[in-house]
Amino acid sequence: MQTQEDLEPTVRIRELKKDRVNFVLGNVDLAFANSLRRVVMADIPTVAIDMVEIEVNTTVLPDEFIAHRLGMVPLNSSNCEEAIKYTRDCTCLAGCPYCSLMLHLNVACHDDNTMDVTSDHLDLVPFPTDPEQQNPEPGEELAQRGELFGQPVGKHEPGVPPVLICKIRKGQELKMKCTAKKGIAKEHAKWSPCSAVSFEYDPHNKLRHTTHWYEKSIKEEWPLSENALEEEPPREDEAFDFNAKPNKFYFEVETDGSLGPQEVVMRGLAELQTKLANLILGLKKQPDGEILANDPQVNGHVPAAEPSWAGGGQQSAWGAGASTGGWPTTSRGNASQWGSGSDGGATSGWARSGSDGGATSGWGSGSATAAATTTGWASPSRQTNGWNS
Amino acid sequence: MNAPARHELYVLEDGEKGVEVTEDTKIPNAATIKIVKQDHTLGNMLRAQLLSMPQVLFAGYKVPHPLHPYFLLKIQTDGTITPQAILEQACTKLIGTMAALETKFKREFSYKDVEGAVGGVGAGGVGGVGGPGADDPYGGGAGRWGRERDYLDF
Repeated sequence: MQTQEDLEPTVRIRELKKDRVNFVLGNVDLAFANSLRRVVMADIPTVAIDMVEIEVNTTVLPDEFIAHRLGMVPLNSSNCEEAIKYTRDCTCLAGCPYCSLMLHLNVACHDDNTMDVTSDHLDLVPFPTDPEQQNPEPGEELAQRGELFGQPVGKHEPGVPPVLICKIRKGQELKMKCTAKKGIAKEHAKWSPCSAVSFEYDPHNKLRHTTHWYEKSIKEEWPLSENALEEEPPREDEAFDFNAKPNKFYFEVETDGSLGPQEVVMRGLAELQTKLANLILGLKKQPDGEILANDPQVNGHVPAAEPSWAGGGQQSAWGAGASTGGWPTTSRGNASQWGSGSDGGATSGWARSGSDGGATSGWGSGSATAAATTTGWASPSRQTNGWNS
Repeated sequence: MNAPARHELYVLEDGEKGVEVTEDTKIPNAATIKIVKQDHTLGNMLRAQLLSMPQVLFAGYKVPHPLHPYFLLKIQTDGTITPQAILEQACTKLIGTMAALETKFKREFSYKDVEGAVGGVGAGGVGGVGGPGADDPYGGGAGRWGRERDYLDF
């Protein structure tokens, strides 16, 4: 475990196509690889049609049937993170250009032949703005959008067949306004950027994480996957190593076209980091919240402590790393950036009398309170002392 | 009709705390940490990372009920460090691993781009607009921090 953890993770892309990437991940934990799989499937935002206002539907399909089909049409969502807001985060009352997209579908058949209504008939139109409602906070979202943002995937692109929505005959008509919104696949699978993610490890089943049912012979009845070529087949006389850990993970991320495979993977990693960062933040914030609740006297410190979160200490270590073009490439370097901040901060906060500057002031004042009220949660040394003595 | 909004499964409500630490009263150096609006994605990864650290005597997680969007993480350490601190270290380590992986991915993707295996993607919307995400995943990093803080910032 240790040796595996200490090694740098490796990645090798075996195939990169327009809509898919096949790669091998090495030197990471099974749980880590699985988290990456889960996050690319469920946590990456895209845009999809979420509300449909039906004006005319004289087709054979009922309204909700068509509305559901429209929701499943993949829309180009490149750079969704910056290009559009979540409606729940937006200050508007019922949709605005910063959190919604409008697509019109207006088709009628005047032919004797059956006509296909497809995703190519969806027209992206500028979102109608309510003149009475002033647009609050004109965001920079619009500038972040690519040319194709919000368009159905593959529209007017030669060689890409459109998505069939409905077939209509002479005299039938379909007219509707669709509102597309940003969301993630945890809310509805239509927001998933991936159509499939395949994930495999240990193709020879050396680790016995699975059991193969068979009649006569496992070898004959269970053909090996292509990934088996990457690993040594087990020898006949090889003893079962129950300490072995999987080390190579074979991924194939296949997208529906709303995001490119590269963006899906990179966003996935970024999303995981955000989750972890929020957890760290949550852990660090704990003392502040308790101080506020427990002791009105310390409230005086809070204005000083709060800006320091944003400006100095911890936060700036993070911020500096971010603005200067990223993380240190090694985990060691990274840990030192954070570690030095947190360890030094916490301990020095204890040593000081409390209201010193920097990120430690929250801790410092917290420690004073803790000492007074004997809650004693803030300090490592305090706790260990208590239990050891 | 009266189903709760789906986003309640993954968005912290106003004033809701993302993390709650309860120290164990009977076991030394042990704590149960409730992490709200997160699931196995984070829970299992943290558990595995914690178990790989020598100071940790016990680490485990559970999602008590599949309809309740939180998980509990139990940690016991050997006393040289508090459970909270070791959890923070675990997060930092994982972020480091991911950053390393991100660099590697970026390099691999750029090789493939050069080889022309991507076809027209580079010219199309995907590569072009994917740029901000791919070339500078941290450009928005600081901003994202700021924004995400709003959920917890009470």
